[in-house]
Amino acid sequence: MTAPELPWAVLADYRCFGCSPHNPHGIALEFDEHPAGLQTTFDLGRSYESYPGVVHGGLLGVVCDETMGNLIVVRTGLVAFTVSMRLRYLAPVATGRSYTCVARLGAGTDAGSPLISATAEIVDADGVPVATASATYRNVPFGTARDRITLTNPDADRLHQALSTTPALSTTPDGPVPVEETL
Amino acid sequence: MTTAADGILRQITEIVARELAVPAESLAADTDLRAIEGADSVRLLRVVARAEQTWDIELDDEDVFTVSSVEQLATVVREALQVRAA
Repeated sequence: MTAPELPWAVLADYRCFGCSPHNPHGIALEFDEHPAGLQTTFDLGRSYESYPGVVHGGLLGVVCDETMGNLIVVRTGLVAFTVSMRLRYLAPVATGRSYTCVARLGAGTDAGSPLISATAEIVDADGVPVATASATYRNVPFGTARDRITLTNPDADRLHQALSTTPALSTTPDGPVPVEETL
Repeated sequence: MTTAADGILRQITEIVARELAVPAESLAADTDLRAIEGADSVRLLRVVARAEQTWDIELDDEDVFTVSSVEQLATVVREALQVRAA
């Protein structure tokens, strides 16, 4: 299984709560390619619990959102903002145990639409599902995203370059879904 | 009942059989989901999640916790598909 190159990695000090290795309060998820999309395996300790011994459900939302969002970014080469997300909790997720989240691109995304859907499933070590998620993201060209996130100019240039060279597989055979700059 | 509706009932039956580890032949349209041996709330939620994944739909929680039979679950799936197609 190979790890995709996340464009954020070019930022020496990025602090994404979900996937940065530089945030001491974050969960530092690492991603691998999966035949159906993107996956991450995680083990959250008691700092992230709700009921004793149970991982807080909001954190599972973070895991699903991160996995789906980064899947879209590495497939399109575009920044993706979450528009909506819905989770279904099937069983308690225990602290201190290993789980895997797999994200897949959704079906039926219209070519040219800035909206793209994805689903995610968290399974335990035996492959039994414990949570599912579905979400819609809005792909945003870098010029638009640049106005909405806080970056120094050199970091912006580095990130733009990294996104431009992301080996986009896209959801269409013709390359990245074109998105209007005026979102 | 249309052929498509028959197909949904058949697929729901297969999902229930797989998630609850019972033979599909033991299930009928009016089988009470909660009366199936080994059924509990977690396993029934997995049935619902699998149905949502299979048809790329989102079922209302109200429906999820009130359906009692295989046929009723198939009905809410059909209704969700109609809403999505509208």
